Amino acid sequence: MKLTIPFYLHKVGAGFPSPATDYIEDDLDLNTHLVNNAPATFIIRVQGRSMRDVGIYDGDLLIVDKSINPKSFSTVIANVNEELVVKTFIKEKEVSYLTSGSKSTIDKINLGENQEVIIWGVVTYVIHKLQ
Amino acid sequence: MSYINYSKKKNNIALIDCNSFYVSCERLFNPKIINKPVVVLSNNDGCVISRSTEAKKIGIKMGEPYFKVKDLVKKNDVQIFSSNYALYGDISRRVMKVIKEFSDKMEIYSIDEAFISLAFVENQRLNEYGKEIRERILKWTGIPTSIGIANTKTLSKVANYIAKKNKTGVIVLDKEKDIDEELKKFDISNIWGVGKQLSKLYIKNNIDTAYKLKNISNTWVKKNTNVLGAKTVMELRGIPCVELQTIEPKRKSCCVSRSFGKKVENIEKLEESITTHCLSAAEKIRGEDQVAKTITVSIRTSPFDRHREYYSNSITIDLPIATNNSIELIKAATEGLMAIYKYGYFYQKSGITLSNLNDAGKEEFNLLAPLLETKSKSLMEAIDLTNTKYGRNSISIAQAGVSSTWKMRREHFSKIDTASFDSLPMLKI
Repeated sequence: MKLTIPFYLHKVGAGFPSPATDYIEDDLDLNTHLVNNAPATFIIRVQGRSMRDVGIYDGDLLIVDKSINPKSFSTVIANVNEELVVKTFIKEKEVSYLTSGSKSTIDKINLGENQEVIIWGVVTYVIHKLQ
Repeated sequence: MSYINYSKKKNNIALIDCNSFYVSCERLFNPKIINKPVVVLSNNDGCVISRSTEAKKIGIKMGEPYFKVKDLVKKNDVQIFSSNYALYGDISRRVMKVIKEFSDKMEIYSIDEAFISLAFVENQRLNEYGKEIRERILKWTGIPTSIGIANTKTLSKVANYIAKKNKTGVIVLDKEKDIDEELKKFDISNIWGVGKQLSKLYIKNNIDTAYKLKNISNTWVKKNTNVLGAKTVMELRGIPCVELQTIEPKRKSCCVSRSFGKKVENIEKLEESITTHCLSAAEKIRGEDQVAKTITVSIRTSPFDRHREYYSNSITIDLPIATNNSIELIKAATEGLMAIYKYGYFYQKSGITLSNLNDAGKEEFNLLAPLLETKSKSLMEAIDLTNTKYGRNSISIAQAGVSSTWKMRREHFSKIDTASFDSLPMLKI
């Protein structure tokens, strides 16, 4: 997972060097921003539109951290009926369940009743291409 | 055993071993195969190299050629995978990183197992600590493991074997009574470091369990085995003799070989394959800043083909100057190939080995060296840089060919690579 953006502070030219040269450190590394726990972080590409309501679009990349536990309204990867799916995790006083996007709760999956549903990881960032 | 003069200091070694590692990697993004029999095949879909518990139960043996188990596979709907080392390598690095956080002293023993020192953990806490390691690896990477903990590497291997077999996750062998009880049931040939020859010798002398070996007299060991045999006996007694190798030794040789997807008859195709092997081997040793003094070229036909005569040969060439220059290596390898190639055979495998590796710059003085060196060094650097930037084989040597009929057969390849943007796991949502 190498992902660095070179961070140039001045163009090369004649004359005095930029006074900022001394302050150049390393390339700006998106890993440090997007990846909190490297060995537990996976990048997964998604195909489909069911999670538009939470801002996940066709072709987006999800940064998924397996090491953290979901909070209410976390976007999660879950193993439902032998298939990995992206869902919203909702926790209420007594029960927790999964929905497709936070607005529709019609197709919700109750976690108490479905022992075989396993939370695979928590989505921490979405990388969405605009151009 | 009063005559032992080693001290029995507290050592506490844990061996952490991933369960059916390659299968577990394939299951990570494919929950459909979690409770099914799964098998992973070696390069070129040759032999079975990893089996799920379900696959073991229906009688698929380790190392068996794929064609021999095809009937079992069909009858039991076994899921077959070609090996995907890019994926396994990335998952392995993750697992090792997680393990490293539990101990400063760690020896990565293979792609799926590591020894760590737990000398700093109180004995009564070992089990709990092992469970914690196991749970974290499972949660963070999705890979199940078994952990054996004991005072020596050999005993930790024994403990690990039991943990794996009984599916208990963690086994601690730290009490003499427990150790002896287990060693009495432990087959001599399953002991770490006891190979086929040695176990034959032991069995011939009626030593068929680990317990009998542990209690054998020192004089007998001295007389009948070598240093390694003696170390194993000591280790079974709980006296550490095999240190953790916490620093990875630099490689002493570098081997690249591949079986052809389709058998190869003409020398041009063989040349192409040898050239490609040289390119990747040279790149590997350049990456470690090493140079090779000798190169070995080997080719062979299929040993299983009953209709054609078997031919296998290899040649070792001493290079005039130790080098990591692809062009020099290819030149030598091609000459070697010419010498051993025989017309009329259908070749199945080719390979090269670079050996007598030394750190670059340390090689002996040679009058010709400086002239050749500087010119080729910058060329090789340019090639490596381009290939890292634009992907493998962007720049190559023309002799490597562009068509690659000898490429690996991978009919059941999962195509996932968690460390490459081109092959990330994909979810339909």
